[in-house]
Amino acid sequence: MSSARVPPVVVPASGNNIIVNPCQRGNPVLECIRNVGKEFGDIAADYQVGRTTGVLFLSLRYHRLHPEYIHSRVEKLGHSYDHRFLLILCDITEHRDPIRELTKSCLINNITIIVAFSNDEVGHYLSVYKQFESKPPDMIKERVDKDYHAILRGALTNIPKVNKTDVETLRSTFGSFANISRATPNQLRNLPGFGQVKVKNIENAFNKPFRNDT
Amino acid sequence: MSTLLPFHKSILEEIHDPATSDLLILARGLGLRRIICTLMKIYDSNKNLILLVNATQEEESAIGEELGIMGCRRPGLRVIGYETSSKDRQNLYKQGGLMSVTSRILVVDMLQNDIPVHLITGMLILHAERVTPTVIEAFIVRLFREKNRDGFVKAFTDQPEHITSGMSPLKNVMKELQLRRAHLYPRFHEHINKTLERRRADVVELSQPLSQSMSEIHHAIIQCISTTLAELKRSNKELELDDFNVENTYFRSFEGIVRSRLSPVWHKVGPKTKQLINDLNVLRQLLFYLLSYDALSFHAYLETIIESNTISTRTGGPKVHQSPWLLTDAANIIFEVAKRRCFIISSIPKETAVTHQPMEVDDQDAWDLLDELEQPGTNNQGKRKLHERPAWLPKNIQPVLEEQPKWDLLSEILLEIESEIIHLSSNKNTSQRGTDTVLIMTSSTRSCDLIQDFLDTMDPDAESGWKGRVMMRRRLKGYLGWRGRLNPNDNNNFAPTNQAGSAGMTSRKGKEREDNLSEALKKKDREKMEKSASRRRTRGGAPSTGGGRSATSDKASPEVIDVDKPDDMTLWSKDDPDLAATLMNASNDFALDLLTQDEFESSYGLLPPEQTIVIRACSDDTDDRMLAEIQPRFIVMFEPSVEFIRRVEVYRSSYPGMAVRVYHMVYADSCEEHRYLAAIRKEKESFERLVKERGSMLLTLEERRKPGGGGEGENVIRTISTRLAGGRRELTTEPPKIIVDMREFRSALPSLLHAAQLLVVPATLTVGDYILTPDICVERKSLSDLVSSFNSGRLYTQCEFMSVHYKHPVLLIEFEEDKSFSLETISELKNYAKPTQKYPNKPSRPSTFNSLSSEPPSSVTTIQSKLVLLTLSFPRLRTIWSQSPYATAEIFKDLKSNQPEPDPIKAITIGADGDDPNDVGKGFNTVAEELVRALPGIGSGGLASSSGIVNTVMRRCKNVRELCELKEDEVKELVGVGPGKVLYEFLHKGE
Repeated sequence: MSSARVPPVVVPASGNNIIVNPCQRGNPVLECIRNVGKEFGDIAADYQVGRTTGVLFLSLRYHRLHPEYIHSRVEKLGHSYDHRFLLILCDITEHRDPIRELTKSCLINNITIIVAFSNDEVGHYLSVYKQFESKPPDMIKERVDKDYHAILRGALTNIPKVNKTDVETLRSTFGSFANISRATPNQLRNLPGFGQVKVKNIENAFNKPFRNDT
Repeated sequence: MSTLLPFHKSILEEIHDPATSDLLILARGLGLRRIICTLMKIYDSNKNLILLVNATQEEESAIGEELGIMGCRRPGLRVIGYETSSKDRQNLYKQGGLMSVTSRILVVDMLQNDIPVHLITGMLILHAERVTPTVIEAFIVRLFREKNRDGFVKAFTDQPEHITSGMSPLKNVMKELQLRRAHLYPRFHEHINKTLERRRADVVELSQPLSQSMSEIHHAIIQCISTTLAELKRSNKELELDDFNVENTYFRSFEGIVRSRLSPVWHKVGPKTKQLINDLNVLRQLLFYLLSYDALSFHAYLETIIESNTISTRTGGPKVHQSPWLLTDAANIIFEVAKRRCFIISSIPKETAVTHQPMEVDDQDAWDLLDELEQPGTNNQGKRKLHERPAWLPKNIQPVLEEQPKWDLLSEILLEIESEIIHLSSNKNTSQRGTDTVLIMTSSTRSCDLIQDFLDTMDPDAESGWKGRVMMRRRLKGYLGWRGRLNPNDNNNFAPTNQAGSAGMTSRKGKEREDNLSEALKKKDREKMEKSASRRRTRGGAPSTGGGRSATSDKASPEVIDVDKPDDMTLWSKDDPDLAATLMNASNDFALDLLTQDEFESSYGLLPPEQTIVIRACSDDTDDRMLAEIQPRFIVMFEPSVEFIRRVEVYRSSYPGMAVRVYHMVYADSCEEHRYLAAIRKEKESFERLVKERGSMLLTLEERRKPGGGGEGENVIRTISTRLAGGRRELTTEPPKIIVDMREFRSALPSLLHAAQLLVVPATLTVGDYILTPDICVERKSLSDLVSSFNSGRLYTQCEFMSVHYKHPVLLIEFEEDKSFSLETISELKNYAKPTQKYPNKPSRPSTFNSLSSEPPSSVTTIQSKLVLLTLSFPRLRTIWSQSPYATAEIFKDLKSNQPEPDPIKAITIGADGDDPNDVGKGFNTVAEELVRALPGIGSGGLASSSGIVNTVMRRCKNVRELCELKEDEVKELVGVGPGKVLYEFLHKGE
């Protein structure tokens, strides 16, 4: 792939604006970008949603007619942008093969694929990319500051068939997590809402070894 | 060993031939296990390697036992689970014989060539009804058939109802298991009919009306169900939900129906719809519990439901999705009436001065009057005791303690049986087979325990509705203790002024309550011990409401010992060691218990065990053996069960000359009755469909696959394409290889990868799920996984790991086959996402959010925005969007072309700090692992810690329980001081 001339980084007039490639004029997606500003500018990608984030847009219906188009765009993109995305609008029913091909070529070209299923969703993605430009990933990180009940519920509902009502039953009957772990099958079976399968699952979770020792 | 009936023999003749492969569908309760065990006995030999696949743990042990009884003892059936090490497994396979293997283990062993596939004589596959193209059993058969054309596959099922969905369900099952012959044996099969019809069981059907309050609750629950259904229909107008009616909701399968109907849009249905479906499930259970639980447990369960639905109000945030039915009037009726069945709370304690005065004065008088009318001679002493008010009871509570109507009925039946037994045994010349043991069958072990408890403490002198008063009292005591702990903040139900006299029952101090409860438990245990130790039982010949009959039985009872027939005695002593052992086992496992009545014990002494009462829960085919062992002549079915009636039919036919009487108890006009009738109908219909389909079925011939993943032609093409790519690698003929994490064998993808001519290498991976090339590492997330692992934050950690160790970390988002390919779309989101100010930390935009309104206000909640954040956080992370596992297999194949092969040893060592690289084949307890991960102080660390700590914990402790037993210092040593403290406090909070 010939390294194309890297276009100068276009700085938006307002920090809250998405820069849109003029070739996207008339794209219905533009109507669906909300809550962030838009301005046109000469960029290699279709949408510049962050200082180092470029997004190419591809409608699969268009791709079906012009399969070469996206490759030329990717080539033009060269090595610009640290975060490179291909936003695919899945608007045909025979999407399996095109998505497979695109997956492969994007992997080679260091592009991450995002598939959207409507114009609204495309717009949503674009605006969220802009909004989250400098957001720390705390939201999707593992959290610690939850209260006791939430953690207990979260932990125990990992066991198949155990629901939040059961967690409440267990807590109120046995008191602590450690006591729950000591509960015998007979005790469990006598709790309201506990059938054989559930009791067995709980038994297995607490009393079966983590690993078999070879 | 159970005898084989003529129809069993003819089925065996049909299917025993090791040269053919068959599918056997038998109606439930007709002894499928008997057939399987006989087959296994036929095949048992060291020269054969017979695998039993897809058996549950219980089935494995039960089949093993049965085979032992039948004489296959050395070595009998050996069970191979994940606890068996791979070396041991290899040795076992080499020895041959009968083996039951967990499916996941078997697949891995087949792929790693740990099992000599070509030497397998045959496989017996249970639960054939669950086989679909994507299940692991289909994968097993495919792997098996690849290398072994001669071995047999015999598949079994006794659940024809499951093989009814789709166009040609039977054909699909047969295709996946590569079978050509199907044998259908419904109950209405001519041969079966002829065998069983010859001796019909003597069935007494008793239909017990519900009590007033129960039918009120029953009615209210039905009302809630129909409201919920209506709500469900209203919120999903576009779907055809016509067959969502109240009758269908009685069945557990209803949830399946709803899910299959909604599955094309399942990811799109809002949390509200999901909530509604859950609610239906809860309501269905309530219906069932209403009939089987005692009043107190039922009320307690309802309280737990309310509690768990209001829990978040205490922690600050409002409950987002309240179950709609909880807010209806009908729900109120349920809660109120359920409470009234247990006790009445009066706001002002009436008789504060006199504690020992009977509370229900009016009742007492009325009862006395009744007593006098019915039986003038009864001593009122015992009854007075019942009506007396115990000291521990808070004064504002008046116990009602309604008893289940069936309990009364049961005690009457037992009386009748007793007089019958006496009548028969005095009539010496009729030689009777079987024992006088009375067998009571219940639907669940829980109600089994309950009835046992009831019979233990039953007061046969009491009026109807008061017989289990002692037990109900004890339960009330336990309940009050429990109630205090359910919600410590909310004690308004029990007036605190009464605490002084009530032995700390309602006191807020947890410790005292604990003591009380454990005291109650201890007492119960002690009683149980005593009872099973004494092994004594008297004939309950005391006069009761029974009038004339009871008088005779009273007179007869002293003679009981003398009347014991000698032949019964010899029969007993002959089988003594065996039978006694089983009975003892049963008393441990299945609550066998003997009735006692203190005042009669001394005069009666030990009674032979055949005059006892055995209470068991209906399970599976194990019941057949139990019947054969106990050989009861009187069977009481506390709850209706189609299966068990068939078992009794088979049992009766197996022992000609035995007069079996069955008492069949049903609540009239209840869901129980309806469910019973509908179950019979459903099974019949599904058999009819299957018979029809078999008649018109077209079976295709399968092409034969070459072993080793790829076919010949495939390899050639691959070789050429490598050359064309201009790579300097040597020509390779080995098929493309993918390393798959052991845990992934639960999903369908490995099977499909194999079907797509890829070589699947199982390994225990710490990082990633699939390794395609040395650079590409894939983490697979199904849609539901994606949501949950975003919420738990696990996905972030996993991506962190992959980014550290691999050049191309890939997130595979896999949608499900047959379901639409899309995430929740925005337009649908706005239908149910109401503008909540759940995330007040974004105050800059709320106005635009609400005014523009076509976007969800809290964009942070959508899965899309989480995905955005993830991709922004990991610039190197790539995504694969796959419509189905089938598409994934294609994409993987594509990505692998012209790429170097991954190295399994290296892949295993990556990220596994200090773990033995030769861990291949190690078993996992995934649930336990997830459980540990969710604990605070363990999963919450950063990249370096979280997985490391989990591994440390799992190395140090054998299981979760052991972790809980550690001292605080030990925990700190294990996971570090700070997290250790958090963890320890979490584990022991509330003690």
